[in-house]
Formats: sequence, C-alpha cells, structure tokens
Amino acid sequence: MSNRKKNKRFLLMSVMILIFSITLLGCSSESVENSDSTSESSNMITFAWPRDIGEMNPHIYNPSQLFAQSMIYEPLVSYQDGGELKPHLAESWKVSEDGKEYVFNIRQDVKFSDGTNFNADIVKKNFDAILKNADMHGWLGFIPKIDQTDVIDEYTFKLTLKEPYYPTIQELAVVRPVRFLGEAGFPGDGDTSKGVEQPVGTGPWVLDEYKVDEFAIFKRNENYWGELPSVEKIKVKVIPDAETRVLAFEKGDLDLVYGEGVISIDSFKQLESTGSYGTSISEPVATRQLVMNTNKEQLSDVRVRQALHYGFNKQAMVEGVTSGLEEKADYILPTNLPYTSHVDTTTVEYNVEKAKHLLDEAGWILPEGKSVREKDGKPLEIELMYNSAESIQKTMAETLQAEWAGLGVKLNIVGVELTTQVERFKANEFDMNFFSNYGAPYDPHTFVNIVATEGFGFREAISSYPNKEEILNQIAEVQQTIDENERQQLYTAILSSLQEQGAIVPISYIKKIAVYQKDISDFTFPANRDEHPFTGISVNE
Amino acid sequence: MGTYVLKRIITIIPIFLIATLLTFGMINLSPVDPAEAYFSAAHIQATDEMLEQKRHEFGLEQPLIIQYVNALIKICQLDFGISYVTNKPVWEEISSRMQATIQLTLGSLLIAILVSVPLGFLAGIKKNSGIDHFSRFLSFIGASIPSFWLGYLFIFFFSVKLDLFPVEGTGTWKHLILPSVTLAFPLIALYTRLLRTSVLENSQESYVLFARTRGIREKIIIGKHVLRIAISPMITGLGMNLGNLMTGAIIVEAVFSWPGFGRYFIEAIFNRDVPVIQGYVLLAAGIFLISNLIVDLIQMCIDPRIFRKGRQHQ
Repeated sequence: MSNRKKNKRFLLMSVMILIFSITLLGCSSESVENSDSTSESSNMITFAWPRDIGEMNPHIYNPSQLFAQSMIYEPLVSYQDGGELKPHLAESWKVSEDGKEYVFNIRQDVKFSDGTNFNADIVKKNFDAILKNADMHGWLGFIPKIDQTDVIDEYTFKLTLKEPYYPTIQELAVVRPVRFLGEAGFPGDGDTSKGVEQPVGTGPWVLDEYKVDEFAIFKRNENYWGELPSVEKIKVKVIPDAETRVLAFEKGDLDLVYGEGVISIDSFKQLESTGSYGTSISEPVATRQLVMNTNKEQLSDVRVRQALHYGFNKQAMVEGVTSGLEEKADYILPTNLPYTSHVDTTTVEYNVEKAKHLLDEAGWILPEGKSVREKDGKPLEIELMYNSAESIQKTMAETLQAEWAGLGVKLNIVGVELTTQVERFKANEFDMNFFSNYGAPYDPHTFVNIVATEGFGFREAISSYPNKEEILNQIAEVQQTIDENERQQLYTAILSSLQEQGAIVPISYIKKIAVYQKDISDFTFPANRDEHPFTGISVNE
Repeated sequence: MGTYVLKRIITIIPIFLIATLLTFGMINLSPVDPAEAYFSAAHIQATDEMLEQKRHEFGLEQPLIIQYVNALIKICQLDFGISYVTNKPVWEEISSRMQATIQLTLGSLLIAILVSVPLGFLAGIKKNSGIDHFSRFLSFIGASIPSFWLGYLFIFFFSVKLDLFPVEGTGTWKHLILPSVTLAFPLIALYTRLLRTSVLENSQESYVLFARTRGIREKIIIGKHVLRIAISPMITGLGMNLGNLMTGAIIVEAVFSWPGFGRYFIEAIFNRDVPVIQGYVLLAAGIFLISNLIVDLIQMCIDPRIFRKGRQHQ
C-alpha cells in the first residue's frame, strides 16, 4: 500500500476516533456527575418549569423566577385569599395618623437557613440595599416614596415615607424586591444588584442542588420557624417545551404541572379526560381586557364602544377559545381582589339588536349593498392589535372580527410581538389592544395607577371620557387616603366609571391550572399570583 | 498547496466582517427597544427614567457606527459583551453550554454516517431492491417530517409507551439517543440519497468498465474504487451541514430539554438580549466558515484532482 493511501486512511480513522471519543467522553463525564447529584427521595415532588430558576437573589428580576425566589425568601406581610394581609415576618405593624410612618414588630423566633438571627438590623440592611437601586425598583409605588429606614430596637423597624401611600403594606407582600437575605448572602460592598454570595433566606426551602438549565432541588429548611412542609424535597426540572412537559408528566417523570399557560388547553383537557390524574383550576388571577383608544374618532363615541361590547357572545367565545378554562368576565378586575367587589355597573349581555341600534344611533349607518357601516362617507374600520405568540389572543381577535363583521364593523387584526405590543400601547399607536391586569398582590392599586400614568396607553384610552379629570383625581386621592371607607368608595367610583364608559371591556377571568399524579394531595393555589404552591402539598406513601 | 490554504484562510476575514456588519445591521433594524424588552421580560412596568437609564447602561445612546466599531473590537478579543438579562459575559454563557451542543451534534453526525453510508451504498449497488425502497422511504420521512414533530413522536413511542429512553434531560448515553437520532434524521435522508446517486453514477464510469475488463472482482471494484470516489460529495455535504447541525440543534434542544446553547439562544431572542443574539450569530457564522474550510482541506487530501483543477483555472 502506498504511503499516500496510508495517510488518507489514517486521517479518516483519526477523525472517526475523535468523534467517538468526544461523544463518549461527554456522556461518561456527565453520568458520573449525575450519579452523585440526583439522590432521589420518595418524599420528593418533581415538577417542571419552562425556564431555569435563575440566580436566587431576592433583590433582582430577570432571569430569576418568582416562584423559586418565594421558596427561599419571605416578606414582612403575606397576601392571603380575599386580599387579606396577614403578619408574616412582621408580627404586627402600626401606621401613624398621617399615614407616613410604619412601625413593624419583627417576629422574634425567626432564623435564617444558616442559623443567624432575623432582626431589625437585617431588615434595614435589605431595605438599604434595595434603596441603593431605587431607580430599578421605582415601578413598585412605595419604593420611591421611602424617606427613611430606622432600627428602633432589635425587633422593631420603622419605615418613613415622604407622603402617605396606603398600598405600602400590600406592596410589602410582593415577591421581589422586598424580601430578606441573610448577612452571609451580602457581597462585600452590600450592593446586591450585582449578585449575592449565597442564597440565605428564612423561607421553608433551601436550595440544595442546582445545575443551570437542567434542574434545581430544594430541600426543606429544617430550622423553619413556621409549619414545616410535609414534603422533604422539591425538584424543579427545566423543560422549555410545553408538549414535552405533558409527555414527561404522562410518563410519570413529573408529579405536578402547574402555572399559567404552562401547557396547552387541549393538553389540559386531554389529561383531565383520562381520569387518571388530579386537576385543579384556580380562582381568577386577572382579567383579560379589551382596551379601546377613545382618542380615535370611531371609538370616541360611548355608543360605539357599548355597541361593540353588546355585539359579541362573550360566553360562547370564552368557552370556545379557552374550553371553559377561563370564565366570562363581567368586571374589569376580578372581584376577589381588595376593594373590587362593590363595583356598580350594568353587566352587558350579548344583544346584537341592541348593538346595531346603538351604532345606528351613533350615526354609523349601513348603506344598502355594502357590508361596512359608514358615517360621513367614512367606513367603520378599527384595528385590533394582539400578541402573535399568544394563541388565545389570536383566536379571540379572529372571533371578534367575525362577530363584528355581522354588525357592519370592519375589524383589522394585527399580530405583533409582545415587546412591540407594549411599545405601541405606550405610544398610543393603537385602536384596540388586549391587556390583562397584574393580579394579587399588585391590584387594584397598580391597575388604577397605570390608568392614570402618562405614557401607558390607558390615559389615552380614556381621553374622551367626560369625567376623565375626576377619575384621575380620584386615583391620586385613593393612594393617599388613610380612611378605609373613603378608599372603598373611591375604588368603587373609579372602577365603575372606567367600566361604564366602555373603553375597557372585560372579556374573561384568567386562571391557573394544575395537573398532578394521584398520589399528590392537598394542592392549593397560592393567593399571591407569584408565590410557590408547595407549602401545604403532600405525597401519599 | 500552502498558498492555497493561506488564501482560503485570508478570504475568511472579509466574509466574517460582512457577517458582523449584517448581524449588527439586522439587529438594529428591529423596531424593538432592548431596554423595553428587558423590563417586559422581567414583568416590570418601566418608567421613562428607568428606560433611559437602561439604554445608557447598554450603550444604546451612542451613534450606530461607534456601537458597531466597539462591538467589533471586543469580538476580536472574544468578548461578546454582557448579557442584558443575566448580567454575565456572553462568551462565558455560550461556552458553558457549548459542550452539550457539541455532544448532540457529534452524536447525530455519527448516527447519520453509520446509517447513511451502508444504506446509501447498498441502495446504490442494489438498485430497485427492497433495501433501495427502504432507503427511499426513510429519505422521504426524513426530508418531510419537521424535527420537532419527529421528536415528539420518538418521545411518545420510545419513552412514554415503551419506556426505553428518558423523555428529557442529560446524564447517560440513553439521554443522547433520541435527540441525536431526531437531529440526524434529515441528514440520513440527504446522505443516503446523495450516496446512492453517486454510487450509481460512478458505476457507469469508464474506470469501472476498465477495471471489469481487467478482470478485477466486482466486490473490489465497488468497495475500493466506486465507494471511495462516491463518498466525496457526501464529505462536502457533511461540512456544509456541520453548521446547519449546530444551528438546527435549537429545535431539538428545546423539544428534549437539552441544555445546549441553542435553547439559550431562543430565550435570548424572546428577551431581545442583543449581545447574546449577536454572539450566537457570529459564532454560527464562524462555525460555517471553518467547517467549510476543513472540508475543502479534507477533500483536497482525498482527491487532489479538485485542488489541481482549481489551480489550472487560475
């Protein structure tokens, strides 16, 4: 055999051996790593999440996942069903008469997972770290209003605001950024925005093992001050694809699938229909709304807006599009949120004749032989923007297009990316848009606040309301009032007026779903939209 | 030969520069503001001041040309910037996920070669036989079924129903099989048909006829001569597809929860994490260019006529 031939054969063989060895090397090294890491436990719940849990830092946002942060870190106040605010790390609190001073009595039996004490000093240290980046946290109403933080004694902490702001207590229940990191977690310069040393919290869970993009195992914090969870470990597998999550669940690799939109409606229905699994649907967490820009000529007339509300079969649409997983909404905020249950407004029932009559009355007449109504020679044409990645929005837009075509309204539907949708909404470059409120513990105050905020779409949406100024004043007032009754009255007036004039149309109440294996019991949805659901859950042996 | 290699390497530089310019241009053409995207990914309603501050932090207020030149200087130092979302260096983030993607890519390349070489070869020498029909059927499936759908089918049958392989994740060689086969399927379809055609064409060549008249046994003619020449287009295909494989792994990684950098890239697109998108696209461009160069060099070693022909034309 010639040398050249030998060389070629050698080259080919080398390439093949290289491919083999790299592949096998990868497999073997990983399997070794994996064999020491996954110590399976019978009292462990495995569930899937679309994204990696991220850095377990209580004071930052992306890419940290809210549910995971809430497993490790706790708030001073916790948000409970019906909007009740209960003491958590703070045993009690007192608000001064002028609504500016909040004095918290800190619970004395709380220790961080590393055994150190939870006291007023560490509360202040956390607040100071948050305030160092106040700009970043400015979206949370009370943060920019903080004037001073003081340690009164070891277990008493005082928060002083520049002006009264009643939702302070409610905002203390959010998952980030006002939860508490232990001393050992702070970096040298105390600036947690750049990262934490270790995830030390007071919560019922501690991070035990973690592999980026693959899994995280949380184990029970045996020193937890509250009631210990009955499950020893929670394993979170990162499974980005919804269909794969369903298949992994069917195979039994997962005990629980939980969240909003984590699996498709069809998959949920199919799993439910087998009867082999437990399923739950939560109380409403938010309302899916249709926001109309009253700055646009066609939508400036309240009769047109109301006609459009009367002109689609909400019940049929919700059932058809969400297979009944969402519930037809009569109010622009779910009524299980604080101050939302007294809204006084006419509930709108599907009535095509009334819709047509209202459009005629508004001067939009259907010329003979034409399919679109006209006024002064201009057709009644409206654009609806939806998030193209959200199949529910897309299908609802198509349904509305068909329903309103029957009324003689030409609806042009435009699918855009989420970021474009937000940008266009803020820049008032829209006729109609889908929106959903923030849910607990943010609403109703966050929702009314953005309605009043310049450059958020809503202020323009209500621009032709005759009582717009009055609503804006009421919104400013409701945040400052310390009288509970007055606050209730103001909210009732604001929400009733916003809805009555039809620029914000409630469509459906969004809900969370859970599917679990039959050996899982006591599953309940947390009242706080962002919290984890693992506290009461148990596995039957 | 040395000059040829040098020339090939030098031509990579302008092509890579064009790739950087295109990538940068396309990302900046997008109407989405990265600062806005950053906050919406974190579910925060950003105030105008917050947006302004983020834009300043990202260096987005500078003129485009300065942004581009700065980015280029950094890329040369393998510095792709800091991810807007994780706040960590992009190169660190990509390289830590690289092993998983390379493993998947090589696994599927290996499967593609092991299946398509014998199958394509047999289909070529036994035209219209059972094996030829089988190869045609396999190619049809491989070329027409999208990877994600094939992935679901594999998971459904082999993991959920037969319990032979895990649904997702990494850890053992079993985890690698289904995603590799899914990724390899379109390649198997392509290479099998390519090799079959090539074997058929070469069997008609005059050198085969000549060998036959010299009385050389058919097995030796086919095995030693035809296969060696016929495999050449397949190697070109392999080189072209190495880049495709790396980038095509995105879908498969998402379906099988494979922790490679394809998945990281998808999240970056949703979050408009510009440095990551830029880093990924440039890395992919680099892989395409280098794998094509390597293939050319291998081709040159196997069949020096290609190189000689190239030189004669100059």
